[in-house]
Amino acid sequence: MRKWILVLWPSFLVAALAEGVFFTVVDPQELYLFGKPVHYSALATYSIGFIGFWLVCAASSLTTIFLQRPATELNQPSRHH
Amino acid sequence: MNDASPKPSPRRDAAVDQDEVLYAPRKKLYVRAVTGLFANWRWALVWITQIIFYGLPWLRWNDRQAVLFHLTERKFYIFGWVFWPQDVFFLAILLIISAYALFFFTAVAGRLWCGYACPQTVYTEIFMWIEQKIEGDHNKRQKLDQAPMSGRKLAIRSAKYGAWALLSLWTGFTFVAYFSPLQELLQSVTTFGFGPWELFWILFYGSFTYLFAGIMREQVCKYMCPYARFQSVMFDPDTLVITYDEERGEPRGTRRKGIDPRSVGKGDCIDCGICVQVCPTGIDIRKGLQYECIGCAACIDACDQVMDKMNYPRGLIRYSTENALRQHWGSKEIVAHVMRPRTLLYGAVLALVCVGFVWGLAMREPLRVDVIRDRASLAREVEDGMIENVYRLQVMNMTEAARNFNLAVSGLEGVKIDGDGKVKVGPAATEAVTLRVLVPYDSGKPGANEIAFDVKAEDDPSLTVHEKTTFLFPR
Ligand code: SF4
Ligand code: SF4
Repeated sequence: MRKWILVLWPSFLVAALAEGVFFTVVDPQELYLFGKPVHYSALATYSIGFIGFWLVCAASSLTTIFLQRPATELNQPSRHH
Repeated sequence: MNDASPKPSPRRDAAVDQDEVLYAPRKKLYVRAVTGLFANWRWALVWITQIIFYGLPWLRWNDRQAVLFHLTERKFYIFGWVFWPQDVFFLAILLIISAYALFFFTAVAGRLWCGYACPQTVYTEIFMWIEQKIEGDHNKRQKLDQAPMSGRKLAIRSAKYGAWALLSLWTGFTFVAYFSPLQELLQSVTTFGFGPWELFWILFYGSFTYLFAGIMREQVCKYMCPYARFQSVMFDPDTLVITYDEERGEPRGTRRKGIDPRSVGKGDCIDCGICVQVCPTGIDIRKGLQYECIGCAACIDACDQVMDKMNYPRGLIRYSTENALRQHWGSKEIVAHVMRPRTLLYGAVLALVCVGFVWGLAMREPLRVDVIRDRASLAREVEDGMIENVYRLQVMNMTEAARNFNLAVSGLEGVKIDGDGKVKVGPAATEAVTLRVLVPYDSGKPGANEIAFDVKAEDDPSLTVHEKTTFLFPR
C-alpha cells in the first residue's frame, strides 16, 4: 500500500504541474495525433493529457523505487515483506 | 559475492523503521471535539472559504458565470476580467504571491495556513462535524467501532457514509463547475446527461475529498503534504508556534482542586491528557514542537478550559516563540520581534510583487492583436505591378462590449489593404481575419521590409494597438 502511495502521489502532484504548464503553452486544437489533428473535445484532450502525464510520472517513480531496492533485498530473492 | 550474508547498512535500517511505522496499521484517532477562541476562528474560516468555494460558480456577471476557468474556450473569466493564455504572466505572478505569502505567514506564526485555511483541515473539520453529529462524541465513536455489527450500527454507519458521500459529490460537482459552465452542468443533472469527462472529474474529485477528509485525515498532513516537509526551514527562534510552557507545567501530575500546586511540588499541568485527545494528528504537544503539529491550536483551547476549571491562569499551552520562552518575554517583546530581517524581507518582496500585479492589471491593454504572415502564399506579383502578401490577424477584444475595429497598414510607400479593413469582434472574443496587403513593386527592397498594422476601435480611439511585422518582396 505504502509503495503505491509513494508511486502515485508524487507523480500526481508533478503531473498536475506539468498539465498546467503544458496546456497553458499549447492549445489542444493545435495538437496532432498520428499525423491528424486531434478531434477529441477540449475537455477530453485535457483529461487524457493529465492521465498521460500521470502515467509517465508514475513510471518514473516506480523505476526509482525499483532501483532503490537495497542489496540485502536483491541478494535474498526469497525474502518478501 | 564474497560476503554471503551482507550486513544491513544503517541506511537500510532506517528504511525498515520507516516501513514499519507506515506499514503498521495506523492507530485510529478518536479526536475529541473542542470549543474555544481558536476553534471559533477555524470555524469562521471554514464558513468563509466554503461559502466562497461552493457559492462562486453560482454568481453571474454580465450575463455569464462570474468566475469560470473555461477550458474549452481557453479563457479565464474572473468578474470583469477575461484572461487568455497570453496572460500566463499574471498566473505566474499570482503563484509567486502565494508562495511569498506562505513564507511570510510561516515565518511570523508557523503553520497558520495548515491550522485554519488548508482545504485538508477545512474538509476534515466538516467531515468530523458530521461524524460527531451522527455517531456521537469520541467515546461513543470508539465504542461503536468496537461493537459487533448490528442493525443499529449498520444504520448509523450508512447514515455517516451517506452524508459524507453526498457532501463529496457536491464538492466534486462544484469543482467541475469552475472549469465547465455551471448552467450546462445543471442541465446535465436533470437528464443525467453529463459528458463522460465531466462525470469522471466529479467522481474523481469527490472520491479524493471523501478519502482525504473522511478516512486519511492526519496522514495526508504527515506523509503526503510537501509543505509539511519544508515549512520548518522558514521557522526561526522568533516564530510564533504552539508551545507548551514546560517550566510552568512541570512536574506534571494529578492533584486535588483548590490546592496550590507549588505546595505539593507540582507544576500547573494536571496531566489530564485532554490536549492529546483533541489533537487531530494525535501528538503530545508537551513533548515539544514536532513536525506533525499542524498548528491548529485545538490543544490551546482545550488546555485553557482545564486551566479555567482549576482556577489557574490560561496559557499553559499558547502561541509563543522559542526566544520568548527562554527569555521570559511578555507579549510586547514578542510583538516587537515580529519585525526582523527575515519577515521584513519576505514582507517587502510580497508587497512589491503585489503592487506589480495590481499595476500590471491596471495597465493591461484590453485589445490585443497577433499578426501571422501566411506562409503558404509567399510574396506574389498581382495586377498593376503590385506585390501582395497575405496575413492572418487575430484580434482579441477583452472588453465586455462588441466592437468594430478599423485596420490600417503603414510603413511602405503606397501600402494598402485590399478590402474595407474592418472587423467586428464580440465581447470577450477573438476574431481572425485574413488580409491581403498590396504594395507597389518599386517601394520596397527585395527581401523583408518592415510594415505595421494599426487596429483601432471605432467607438474609442484610445483603444488601439500598433503591431509590427514584415512584408516580403520577391528577390
Ligand atoms: S490539557 Fe493542559 S493540563 Fe491537561 S495534560 Fe494537557 S497541558 Fe496538561
Ligand atoms: S499539537 Fe495537535 S492540537 Fe496542538 S496545535 Fe499541534 S496539531 Fe493542533
